[in-house]
Amino acid sequence: MMGPQMLERNREVLQSRFPDILLVVAEAPVVAGFECTHGADGCILASVAGVPLQNPHGPVEEARRWARASVEKLELAGARRAIVVGLGLGYHVEALLECFDGTVIVVEPNPGLLRAALGARDLSGLLARVELVGPGAELADSLEPSRVLPYAPLLLVAGGLHRDAVERSQRVAGRSGARLRVLVVSPMYGGSHPIAGHACRALNRLGHEAELLDLSTFFEGFRGLSGFATKDSRRRQTESLYCDALGDGVAARVEETGADLVLALAQAPLGEAALRKIERAGALRALWFVEDYRLFTYWREVAQFYDYVFTIQRDECHDAMGAAGAGHVSYLPCAFDPEVHRPLDLARPDQLAYGSDVSFVGAGYRNRRDSFRRFLDVDFRLWGGDWENAGDLKRNLERDGARISSQEAVRIWNATKVNLNLHSSTYCDGVDPRGDFVNPRTFELAGAGAFQIVDERALLPELFGPDELVSVGSVDDMRAATMHFLDRPEERAVFEDRARRRALAEHTYERRMEALVATVVARDQDRLAKKPRVWTVADVREEAEGELARHLARYTDTTPFTIDDMIRTIPDRHGPLEDPEAIFLFLHQFDDLYLTEHRQ
Amino acid sequence: MTQAKRILIVNLTRFGDLLQTSPTIAGLRAANPGASITLLADRNFAAVCEGIPGIDHLRRTDLDSLGHQLLAGGRDLLHAYAEVEQLVRELREEQFDLALNFSSSAMSAVFLGLLRIPDVRGWSVTPEGHRVIAHPWSRLFATLCLNRSLGDLNLVDSYRGMAGGGPGVERLFFDVSAEGRAQAAGLLTDAGVRSEDQVVALQLGASRESRVWPTESFGALGRALTEAGFRVVLTGGGKERELAREVSTVIGARVIDACGRTDIAGLAALLERCSLLVSGDTGPMHLAAAVGTPIVGLFFGPALPYDTGPYGRDHVLLHAAVACAPCSHAVSCLDPFCRSEITPAQVAHAATSRIRGDWAALADLGALPGSVRVLRTGFDSNGMYQCERLGTTSPEPDEALRRAYRATWLAALEDHPLPPQTFSCVDPEPFVEIAALARHGLELAGRLVSVAGRASGSDIETLGAELAALERNLAGRAAVQPSVRPLTQMFRFGQECLPDADVIGLAHGTAELYGTLAFEADCMTRLLGIGQQREHTHAGLHQ
Repeated sequence: MMGPQMLERNREVLQSRFPDILLVVAEAPVVAGFECTHGADGCILASVAGVPLQNPHGPVEEARRWARASVEKLELAGARRAIVVGLGLGYHVEALLECFDGTVIVVEPNPGLLRAALGARDLSGLLARVELVGPGAELADSLEPSRVLPYAPLLLVAGGLHRDAVERSQRVAGRSGARLRVLVVSPMYGGSHPIAGHACRALNRLGHEAELLDLSTFFEGFRGLSGFATKDSRRRQTESLYCDALGDGVAARVEETGADLVLALAQAPLGEAALRKIERAGALRALWFVEDYRLFTYWREVAQFYDYVFTIQRDECHDAMGAAGAGHVSYLPCAFDPEVHRPLDLARPDQLAYGSDVSFVGAGYRNRRDSFRRFLDVDFRLWGGDWENAGDLKRNLERDGARISSQEAVRIWNATKVNLNLHSSTYCDGVDPRGDFVNPRTFELAGAGAFQIVDERALLPELFGPDELVSVGSVDDMRAATMHFLDRPEERAVFEDRARRRALAEHTYERRMEALVATVVARDQDRLAKKPRVWTVADVREEAEGELARHLARYTDTTPFTIDDMIRTIPDRHGPLEDPEAIFLFLHQFDDLYLTEHRQ
Repeated sequence: MTQAKRILIVNLTRFGDLLQTSPTIAGLRAANPGASITLLADRNFAAVCEGIPGIDHLRRTDLDSLGHQLLAGGRDLLHAYAEVEQLVRELREEQFDLALNFSSSAMSAVFLGLLRIPDVRGWSVTPEGHRVIAHPWSRLFATLCLNRSLGDLNLVDSYRGMAGGGPGVERLFFDVSAEGRAQAAGLLTDAGVRSEDQVVALQLGASRESRVWPTESFGALGRALTEAGFRVVLTGGGKERELAREVSTVIGARVIDACGRTDIAGLAALLERCSLLVSGDTGPMHLAAAVGTPIVGLFFGPALPYDTGPYGRDHVLLHAAVACAPCSHAVSCLDPFCRSEITPAQVAHAATSRIRGDWAALADLGALPGSVRVLRTGFDSNGMYQCERLGTTSPEPDEALRRAYRATWLAALEDHPLPPQTFSCVDPEPFVEIAALARHGLELAGRLVSVAGRASGSDIETLGAELAALERNLAGRAAVQPSVRPLTQMFRFGQECLPDADVIGLAHGTAELYGTLAFEADCMTRLLGIGQQREHTHAGLHQ
């Protein structure tokens, strides 16, 4: 068959199955440097700028070997969707179709290469059996467990389109197939403590099996240690031993649960010994360092024992973390939890209790003490701790500086006309001119639909635009902006609405955890695939019939499909058991009677 | 015996338990010649069912496969669900009118509840999923499972009671096939066994490690029997080959190793040919009983001769009655010294004496000091299995309590008269207390019956609170006096079966339960040496 005829035949299939792709391909020139020849065995061979797209000495055999190895990977991952990045001349895809009965999706990001391939070989049979994701298109999310199979020769083609496609596909596959068992480890105290809870809830909402190890219960004990020794060195030694014991406990929990991933929040008491134990237990270790790396430097000792470090800063921070031996460093800004940080319709008593023209909720860092004196002439309320010796501000301090819970903070923000959000600094008097990261409060205020004036930060513009948040470069500007917006509720409302929309779309903990998991899965797909996966209701809904299908309709897609989960609702129900409930109850009793010792 | 047309028997337990079902099946078959009898059993043990007469349909479940699916989870859990759903659907289509659940477990209870059979004997659940043990013999069976050391009723008789009783058959049933006999004959011929040789079988293994007699003990026994002129054959499955090799090394060349070389039919025929089997509490022991081969049974660890001894006459059982016996099924003993209490010399003596029919020698063995009791199996005048202690005439306290309970249950459930003798070695006072509490309960429930239709809500609440306090008191007595626990357990199971009726119905049911409890406590009190037997009969109180 000649080139134009083959192209026509391939076009017919494209027209019927993927008309949008045909439109793109029809206008694309053949990729530069594309050459087509015949091999010794008569097979058509192709190369791009000298890079062969297959083994010239036996493309079919090579494709079969690749397919066999790929099927092993798919089976190991329990994947029913193979995402092949790169079509080439299709030999490898044809071989995969012969030995894999799941769904095969081919991602071909290079229009010129696709155009060339359509003219080089008859791919009509292949195109009739695969799902094709063409140039410019993105792989769709799916609940089917998936595995990305990059076709190596195409990764060498200039332009990097295939490499990018692999990374993007792995992110999507990570979202869809991988359901991880995650242990989220909180610190004993501090600002990152609530973030552990938010992250854990977000992971569970995404369908992962996340458990929070809340170490705040050990804080009183930790504080009590200071009673043993007054000398700093002795006290630090005792505290270190205390933290080691907690780390040991975390490692034990990892072993017991078979967690895939341990996500430690900044200040979590995990030292070298515990992190090594966690590694031996087979879990990946991630640190979300939601602190200023310049201010809190303990990461220097532990970064090298983490497989992943996520930071709220970039550039120099990443360089420093990398130099300290961190496995893989990514930027992951803070976020908000829509279930906690939300607009509230406050009753009058709450409005009176929490409301004011201007307020601030947070700790009394040096720059805040100095800056907030500028607001002593307005209705200004100050909430939070560490405001000892606050001088003039003392009369504005509420509840004598008691700790404010997340829930109360949301009430205060909703009841306040202008919320000040000045990032902390231990060495600047006002706005930190080199401040880069964006604090959690920024996202939380936005999520709560509250109006805020925030100090400028290097990383703020990519998170919120100037029409979404009011940012200021100095305390003078902060005061001026405050005075401006105090009397303009309509203008405030516009900012509130825009900020909340942006926050909901991009800055929830779910989005952050999605990104975190995708990063981990993209890099450690094979390692995670070796662990048994957690099935959810979504995985089996399609196969379930009759009464079971109706029973499963009570559960969300992300509910784990386990016996325990399937009988969890029984105690709350009244009336006769339905068959599915009774059958799962029977299986539960069977498990209890015969399988308990096998599970230990 | 119960009348029914379509009968389902569920027995998801092991080889031996299935054989112990055979007298019940024989009784049901005799009482219901036209009925269809279906047995649901685990696939692994279904082969033994093929030799049990009277079964019309054998349904096999694959519990191993189900277990693997549940362990795998995910899609396999879906498959497990589908298999159970399919089985339930098929069994419902059979429209059984009677089900006998011989598996005393919550698992089987839920399963029976799913089948919606009108008359279920044994564990089941209400449509709402609450446990219900509807038949009095079923409740007794469950009670004895929880109070094994105070039980003196054989499992077979409990099964038969659940099925409605009927004339005693005094044996297990298993049809030995011609193929089985040919297999056994070939095996023995190959080993040079002559027709005049006396062959003694040693069953080496057991389903649980805790029931296995030590290898060196079997070796010493085998050597002693060989030296006494017997041919010794080692029986067991493929898993026991290693054990057999060790034992064979001690016994010597003339031993016949049949481990893993017979199927169920061949094993039955082999045992049938033997003069005696020495075994722990195992499936092959029950098989030997079914084919009429005398047994010297070794009972230690969790095994008790009273409830699972071989169902037949004139078997000899050696029981290591150490202070901690029987082990709970829920524990793994770290110091199983009881299995060494029974020595090879004792067993060899018992075996040779039993083969000779020398009961005097066996009584002498039983009279020796030590923890090992020697028992002879038989049946009472009602055709119910009973163990007779050899070598002594005065029962020890645990035996006395066991026998008193046996008589009490038979009086309460079957209206049997209490025997004239009393057992003065047990303190009757706890039973006197229970009787008094029960009578108080009877009075309270009676008052509740009389006022339920006309009294105010607060009066009813007051009486209800008093009854609740009384129940707590009963539970408290049982906590501190283990000897009364079977009585209070039966009472509790009875309470679980009270229907969701109005106050009057509940009050009537409660009164009946307290009346029965009072009667049973009175029986125990009388048998333990206080008071006189009451003239009234109480058969039907549990119905």
